[in-house]
Amino acid sequence: MDTDKEKPIPEDQNNVDDQKKQPQDLQDAANHAPLSTTTETPVSPPPPSETTQVDVGDGEGDVAKGLPESEEVVPTTSEEDQQQQEASPLSPPPDLPKVSQEIDHYITSLLSSLKQDVSSSSSAPETVPICVEQFAVLFEAKIDEYDSVDSPVKWNRLTDEDSESFLDAIHRISKLYSALCEFSSDCQFAYSINRIGTVLQRAMSYLEEEFRFLMEDYKIPDSDYHQNPVPPEKLNDQHLPEGDETPEQNQGSEEKDDDDHLPRPTNQEENVDICRPEIGYSDEGLSNLRKLSKAMIQGGYETECCQVYFITRRNALEETLHKFGSEKHSIDDVVQKMNWESLEREIMAWIKTFKQCANSEFPRERKISDFVFHDYPQVSESIFSTLTKGVIVELVNFSEAVAMTKRAAEKLFKFLDIYETLRDVLPTVDNLFPKESVHLEEIKSEATLTRSRLGEAMVYIFCELENSIKADTGKTPVPGGAVHPLTRYTINYLKYACEYKDTLEQVFREHQKIERADSTAGSDFDYNTSGSTTSGVFENNSSNNNNKNSNDQKIQISPFQSQLLTVMDLLDQNLEIKSKLYKDLSLSSIFMMNNGRYILQKVRGSPEVSSLMGDAWCRKRSSDLRQYHKNYQRETWGKLLHCLMNHEGLNVNGKVVKPVLKERFKSFNAMFDEIHKTQSGWVVSDEQLQSELRVSISNMVIPAYRAFLARYGQTLTPGRQTEKYVKHQPEEIEELVDELFDGNAANPAGRRKL
Amino acid sequence: MPGGNDGPGFLNRISIRRNQVVAMESHDQELEDLDIFQKNTAERFADLLPPPTPAPGSVHSSTPKNNGNSDQTPSSISASESPLSEHNPLSQPAPAPLLSIEWFRKLLDVFLCCEAEYKAVIVMGRDPCQFNKPPLDRLIPDLLDRSIKALDVCNAVTNGVELVRHWQRLAQIAVVALEQRPIGEGQVRRAKKALSTLLTSMAFDDKENGGVGNNNHGKSTERTWSFGRRGGGGSAAGNSNKDRTGGTFRSLSWSMAKSWSAAKQIQAMSANLIAPRGVEANGLAMPVYIMCTVLVFVMWSLVAAFPCQERNGLSTHIPVPKQLGWAHAITGLQEKIAEEWKKKEKKGTAGLLEEIQRMEKLAQSLIEFSDAFQFPLEDEKVDEVAVQVAELADICRKMEEGLAPLQQQVREVFHRIVRSRAEVLDVIDQVGKMSVPVPY
Repeated sequence: MDTDKEKPIPEDQNNVDDQKKQPQDLQDAANHAPLSTTTETPVSPPPPSETTQVDVGDGEGDVAKGLPESEEVVPTTSEEDQQQQEASPLSPPPDLPKVSQEIDHYITSLLSSLKQDVSSSSSAPETVPICVEQFAVLFEAKIDEYDSVDSPVKWNRLTDEDSESFLDAIHRISKLYSALCEFSSDCQFAYSINRIGTVLQRAMSYLEEEFRFLMEDYKIPDSDYHQNPVPPEKLNDQHLPEGDETPEQNQGSEEKDDDDHLPRPTNQEENVDICRPEIGYSDEGLSNLRKLSKAMIQGGYETECCQVYFITRRNALEETLHKFGSEKHSIDDVVQKMNWESLEREIMAWIKTFKQCANSEFPRERKISDFVFHDYPQVSESIFSTLTKGVIVELVNFSEAVAMTKRAAEKLFKFLDIYETLRDVLPTVDNLFPKESVHLEEIKSEATLTRSRLGEAMVYIFCELENSIKADTGKTPVPGGAVHPLTRYTINYLKYACEYKDTLEQVFREHQKIERADSTAGSDFDYNTSGSTTSGVFENNSSNNNNKNSNDQKIQISPFQSQLLTVMDLLDQNLEIKSKLYKDLSLSSIFMMNNGRYILQKVRGSPEVSSLMGDAWCRKRSSDLRQYHKNYQRETWGKLLHCLMNHEGLNVNGKVVKPVLKERFKSFNAMFDEIHKTQSGWVVSDEQLQSELRVSISNMVIPAYRAFLARYGQTLTPGRQTEKYVKHQPEEIEELVDELFDGNAANPAGRRKL
Repeated sequence: MPGGNDGPGFLNRISIRRNQVVAMESHDQELEDLDIFQKNTAERFADLLPPPTPAPGSVHSSTPKNNGNSDQTPSSISASESPLSEHNPLSQPAPAPLLSIEWFRKLLDVFLCCEAEYKAVIVMGRDPCQFNKPPLDRLIPDLLDRSIKALDVCNAVTNGVELVRHWQRLAQIAVVALEQRPIGEGQVRRAKKALSTLLTSMAFDDKENGGVGNNNHGKSTERTWSFGRRGGGGSAAGNSNKDRTGGTFRSLSWSMAKSWSAAKQIQAMSANLIAPRGVEANGLAMPVYIMCTVLVFVMWSLVAAFPCQERNGLSTHIPVPKQLGWAHAITGLQEKIAEEWKKKEKKGTAGLLEEIQRMEKLAQSLIEFSDAFQFPLEDEKVDEVAVQVAELADICRKMEEGLAPLQQQVREVFHRIVRSRAEVLDVIDQVGKMSVPVPY
């Protein structure tokens, strides 16, 4: 055959030139507009007329050689032989750029004839030119090479030129296919539509696989992002499987040669290429993903592309969440099986995960999808929304389950944490979603629903607190009139709760009504009135918040304040009842003082609580305390002072009646000793209150005693008699007073006195 | 969210009765309420039964049509059959085929109705003290326990519906590809690839996905499963061009907690479901029992129909006493579904949802077609495929239209259960408070 004779010469040229030029040609072809003439075609001698005349199925070996050569740049003789054997029976022209140009022409003519068709509906398109088949053969050969069973070529191993030319060809074949399909009713086109469609499908199949591979080449970012690049060993490891494969295959040696001959930035860079810690993909990987997704969508394979994308990202997200220690739990487990301690841990992990998602994971997903689907913002948005929604719904489900657990006082704080997380963290992802996104609306309403469940649960927990206070009806008084455990518990609980003051204000504002509406009206009434009855200065604002009351004494209070006051009042009532358990009225007063003091101190110690309770409340408390103090003084020391102050019967006609005086001293001593014995067993743990009490007692008793001594002391015979009746010097009295309220358990008298 | 404020809105409809209850809270009224509740329940479920005269459910009729597709008549029948049920929804609403998406939407509606009515009978206007006395003190917590378990089923089913939507997308690829003319090799391969992935996912998510709980490897995402990457994927035609069907396959669905099993959950839900006897049978124990049964039945049929994590060994029997009037329909439905399930276990299909079953058969048939495909296709064959593709397209459309509302309904059921549970707990708490001596 004459072609055979002629070929060797240009072929040799080709071999040399192809190494450098061919990719360049393809590149050029890609860069030029479809119709622009290819400026540089030195190595493509056959003129178009010749090419079209080439008989299909003729000169097979040559053509087959031409193809891989243009891609696999360094052909060896043995290589040639082998490829001759494998060559396809069809004979494409030796030059892809040339054919591509013709294809572009053809597409244009097809489309223009289509336009004419619309207007005139007469001119049937000509028969399909041979370049279509040639293009199919050429491109198919390329796909065969890349997508070979034994040694597939990974996309990220292609040179930039190769990948560009491949994408260019895909773009062309996509266009060609859709142009041809316009004539699908014309049976002349059937063969070509089938042919091109098949090649397109193969190309897409390869792209899909590569897209998947690149998608899966993802590194889960550490929660504390390493600034260091991924260690090189790791990268090597990753590429090892491919490295192992290459030597076994024919092309292996070529590939290695390629590395030497061609600038393959990919390979060089791969070792240096830093996997971006905040993204999880390398820059190169991302740009490849973008190119592939674009090619797939343009080729009509959007669904496939999105499926691959969605599944890999979904799995990556799940893996990431798992890495953060977030475990999935069934509602059944959370509500009925887990103990609170382990649930508390899970809640902490949940909050962490939630924040992590909102602050890094979701923004990252958005970045990735925006990058990959750069030209298709709607695809990006829909994929991102679906992905994110899946995660959020799962997260919200957990909080929903927590809200369903048995309500208990100790859970309040974790409920608050969850509530705040849902309230504060969720809005931060708002702007990631497209505007008026249905998904976002669903997420929001789910979160809102969960929040109201948590809110109701919290309101309920406060009711429970009320109940537990009411139910604390123990008949055993606290020894020594000390602070009751109920007081401690309640006040500390409230103090801690008030650290969440603003949130609780919101909770009671938003969720209390729901709760109250659900329960019977009776409790509602009781609940609200009990808040305002005992503290008459307050007005419950359940009815009207806007009503600015001119009366200074009446203060508008929030539902949560009202709740706090109710609890305080209930505690007061309870303490009142408990104080009656003491038979000794003085001890009763001490008990009230101790507890009142404790409450007041705690309230004043916490700016949140004191601001909620208000100044008026504190003032009232202080005056209550003073009253208890007075009661105590009167009760305990009144008689004693009476003994010293009441001079009746002591002086008769200006003379001291000694027996009476003796009796006075005796009874004073006895009384004082008894008080001392009893009350040093009593407890006033608040140091300030203790010293206040002691000082006030000393101030009251000692001057009176001194005066009494001064007036009557010398009446007694010095010596034995004085010693007998003046048992205590004033200084001693002071010392003894200082021993009061020490909770001295060694003195059993205090207890017996209860 | 529809689930949010469902309670009051719906209850308005029965407010008349409720007022009556409040007005005259006598034993007679109670009996009457119970009677109405039973009657309504029976009627509602009877509506779900497939009519006895035509073919017993289209699931059955569709069984033979695609299996032996050498014969053309069955497929043409099926094609004429499915549009038929769609075309005349106004003239005479054709009953939804058993276990179809439409049927499930009705079922969930029935559930919501029963639930609301149950609450009216048992909670509203009743003396809350009943809750503290036998038999309710035992039965109500029992129902609450089953409700909690139902919530997990709801979530699993939501995931399952999501998975079915993935299947729909895969089927849609095949539809789009095979609707093109002329049918070319590339399109056939594309369709085959999508359908193979679909079938793989159906098999995988039904079997392997269930196994997740068993291999407690900690990594929940270790669900990759390879076909042998570049393998021929069993392409029968000796193509030199390999079809990489499926490629690396990954589960398409979100998963539940690691060890969660739908079968076990249903088992736990249906355990100790004992009908009240003697005097109790006439009292408030009955509605609680009815509600339990309805709940278990609905959840059971959802699990049977939709892909769910770990369904192996799903019991086919729910203890419903046939002799009770209201239970006739439920028993009938249960037997039919159980029958289907037994068939499924033999064949290994993905779920009893009518659309899934048909989709699976069509996918198999179309894959067979694609394996034997040669270009150009004879007109005869083109028509044959067109019929199947049209049916697949019809299924996809039904899924497109029905799955999202169904998913929302499942969510509504979820929220309703949560809400009702909270309300019942509130009542119980009140009773608890009453027993506390401190005046409230």
